Amino acid sequence: MTAYLLRRIIQIIPTFIGATLLAFIIIQLSPGDFLTQLELDPKFTPETIARFRQQFGLSEPIWLQYLIWMKNLITGNLGYSFAYQAPVLEIIWPRILNSLVLVGLATVFLYLVAIPAGVFGATRQYTLGDQVVSFFSYIGLAVPSFFFALIIIFVLLQLKFHFQVLPFPIGGMTSSNYDSLTAWGKVGNVLWHAVLPAFVIVTADIAGLARVMRGQMLEVLSQDFVRTARSKGLADRKVIYKHAFRNAIIPFIATIGGLLPGLIGGAGLVEVVMNWPGITPLLLDAVGQKDIYVIVGFLTLTTGLLMIGNVLGDLLLAVVDPRIRYN
Amino acid sequence: MNKRWLILATLAVLGAGLGQAQVFTWPQKWTVAKPGEATPGGVLVGSTISDFRTLNPFTTAEATNIPTIMANGVGLARYDPTTAQQIPWMSTGWTVSNNGLVFTFDIRKGMKFSDGQPITSKDFITTWKIQADEKVGSNAYDGWYIADKPIILKALGDYKLQATFPSISATALEQMSFTPWPDHIFGPVYAKEGADGIKKMWSLTTPPAQIVSAGPFVLSGYRPGERAEFKKNPYYGEWNKDEQGNPLPYLDGQTVLIVKDTNADLAAFLSGKTDTYAPSTVDQVSQVKQAIGAGNLKATLKVNASPVASSQFIVFNWNKADNPFLQMVFRNVSFRRAMSELTDRKAAVDLVYGGLGFPTYGSVYPVLKQWVDPNIPRYEYDPKAAAQLLASIGFRSKDKDGWLVYSGSDKQFQGKRLEFTLTTNTGNNQREQLAQLFAKTAKEAGVKVNFAPVDFNTLVGQLLAKGDNRPFDAILIGLSGGGLAWPFGQNVVPCGTNLHMYNKSGSCLTPQETLMTALYFKGNQTLDFKQRVQIGYQLQQTEAQLQPIIYIAGPAYNPAWNDRTGGNHPDSILTATWGSRETELTFIKK
Repeated sequence: MTAYLLRRIIQIIPTFIGATLLAFIIIQLSPGDFLTQLELDPKFTPETIARFRQQFGLSEPIWLQYLIWMKNLITGNLGYSFAYQAPVLEIIWPRILNSLVLVGLATVFLYLVAIPAGVFGATRQYTLGDQVVSFFSYIGLAVPSFFFALIIIFVLLQLKFHFQVLPFPIGGMTSSNYDSLTAWGKVGNVLWHAVLPAFVIVTADIAGLARVMRGQMLEVLSQDFVRTARSKGLADRKVIYKHAFRNAIIPFIATIGGLLPGLIGGAGLVEVVMNWPGITPLLLDAVGQKDIYVIVGFLTLTTGLLMIGNVLGDLLLAVVDPRIRYN
Repeated sequence: MNKRWLILATLAVLGAGLGQAQVFTWPQKWTVAKPGEATPGGVLVGSTISDFRTLNPFTTAEATNIPTIMANGVGLARYDPTTAQQIPWMSTGWTVSNNGLVFTFDIRKGMKFSDGQPITSKDFITTWKIQADEKVGSNAYDGWYIADKPIILKALGDYKLQATFPSISATALEQMSFTPWPDHIFGPVYAKEGADGIKKMWSLTTPPAQIVSAGPFVLSGYRPGERAEFKKNPYYGEWNKDEQGNPLPYLDGQTVLIVKDTNADLAAFLSGKTDTYAPSTVDQVSQVKQAIGAGNLKATLKVNASPVASSQFIVFNWNKADNPFLQMVFRNVSFRRAMSELTDRKAAVDLVYGGLGFPTYGSVYPVLKQWVDPNIPRYEYDPKAAAQLLASIGFRSKDKDGWLVYSGSDKQFQGKRLEFTLTTNTGNNQREQLAQLFAKTAKEAGVKVNFAPVDFNTLVGQLLAKGDNRPFDAILIGLSGGGLAWPFGQNVVPCGTNLHMYNKSGSCLTPQETLMTALYFKGNQTLDFKQRVQIGYQLQQTEAQLQPIIYIAGPAYNPAWNDRTGGNHPDSILTATWGSRETELTFIKK
């Protein structure tokens, strides 16, 4: 086991270097740099822009920029943001925490709803209940989440217009009186703001996860050991949850590796449309402006977490599935 | 200086004699509020599209930034929106030496920073020193140099400041209207650690309690990516008062929400979460209109209040050594006039801006009314006239596909088709529509325009390429800005500068360019406003003759505000230049 772990960790190093190098090169391949936008501003002389380019280290060749960045990374420095004139970690960390609140909540929702929904569909295959769940799953899959978010904002506005009430806030993460709230009041305030965006994120994911869960469950339920368990006279409940369910969720454990970077990776355009101050709006700005170290710094963080997550997922598999042993 | 200013100045001097602050009185005519109507208190909520990047006034670079909101433009002089002339603000007046180079300001007495420290000449000097230090990398750096020679500031005691310019500058007062930042905070760090020390100060993680401002507001809270909150500077009201003598600002504070998505921004205004909003598209305007019409939102919307200081235009590349035919065509003034006559500006305003826009004919944008020469020749949409002009330069017959071909005097170009590529940046819908509209009207005249949008950064690279052979035919793009004191760009008009976009060979190719370069410098070195306007007119006449750039149209400024906010500008000064209100005179209705 220890040998396996050691091997995995050593394998991480070249993958990590390759991934960051690739990210670095791809970002640099697109034309222009952070200062290109200044060049069309009549206020700036070319000499000033050239001086900025020098000060930002953008006049160095790409390979040297990468080496300097790598050297800093070893000392725990993810780089420096041109736009914010501050260390990358200092900029992205508060935004990652914000995303974490939203995605964490959504993930809990997701597993709480999708797994029972999948089991429900499998155990009552082709019944009306199964059809209804499937129908909504497909709708959830088909509607893009940013569009769904816009619809929700529209509905909220109509409620406000016709009944002068806003059951949930239109966008944002905290109310303006947030700082004067008690500790529990603060938690409640953030949750109140997070409910709708989390709901939007979850609808898209629930559908997919519930479909997979249903398929897994159906496959396991048709296997011999389930028939054996049933013929022993075990209660249906016990057969489903103790025998079938445990086997059906194994593939999900393997995906836990992706969960870790996913948690900090933000909720995508939902954050933009619903005005959640997460990592996505920041990254979009950084990509648009070619604030390269923000992008590469963030990619490094998620790449690292993905690799750690994968190792953890594999280890968990061994715990859940007695057939798997690492020797 | 008119009589009212004289009286106010006298009162101010008297006040100072009694140990009080010398008061700047905000004229009633800057607001629609009736005397005594405004009530103190309340918070104004606005929004901005991009996140704040820093609290540091010396390194800030984004369009809407925290230092600017705190300072709200406070400086030695300011513009009176009703006259567009500069009046004393943090100064009580100034004198100019006979040679026009030395400005001496009397700094107003009794002004204080938000931490209670007095504002003196030291603060102006330190701010200047730091901004003019190239190692700091301040966006204000270029302003302190004229043709690489520095402007020198000198303190003559605590309340007198002298600025010596290397040459006469029309924008001298604008330059000297910079906002001072506290010497007692930045001075010691700059003396000890230099530029590096300054760059590290006032980051987004600095506690708001350490932030100090000379302006009406000071930061009270910032939540990353979410909002910035400001409270009023209590000392500002000691020297800024309304005509009834009430301290300003009326507001207790301001909140600026960071709203990345334009739909979310609209929703925030419609739901009453924000007080001010400037819809820019037809969709947004009609949404606000509908909400107001249906009684769902109590707000005011001023549609087409004024043009914005921006325009879209087409620029032809004069430096095409590898394509002598197109170079010959693009350098021909008749061709460019014909292209201007193939530009349907009315259709552009109607189709692209949905009627919320204004046609433009020259480099001075229509919003700068006092600068626009009303008599410049305009080449309005006229396909027949365009066809005649094109025929006059050799494009008389069409080939079998219906495109014009050359049959003029130059033998080597015989039979060549009039065809070029028009580029703009992908993703900018309005520019793409304008380009397609032009390609369509050109097609009807037999001119083949191939429209091919490219990535923005690639476009900038092509546009700003130097030399005799640049990699594009024609580009549709826009610039914005233009100062009130001298609206022509120092990087745009003179030959050889970075944004002299049509000809980047490094030198003037036409007598008109030479003349425009000379007029630019002449105007920029004329202190008298009326004389300067005349030079500006002459420059515009020359430009209109040359038609180096085909100006098309720009969008309108359509401000909206929730009716709980009072104190907006009267309609006559409700323009993109002056905005919808003075924040100091804004109040929340009870």
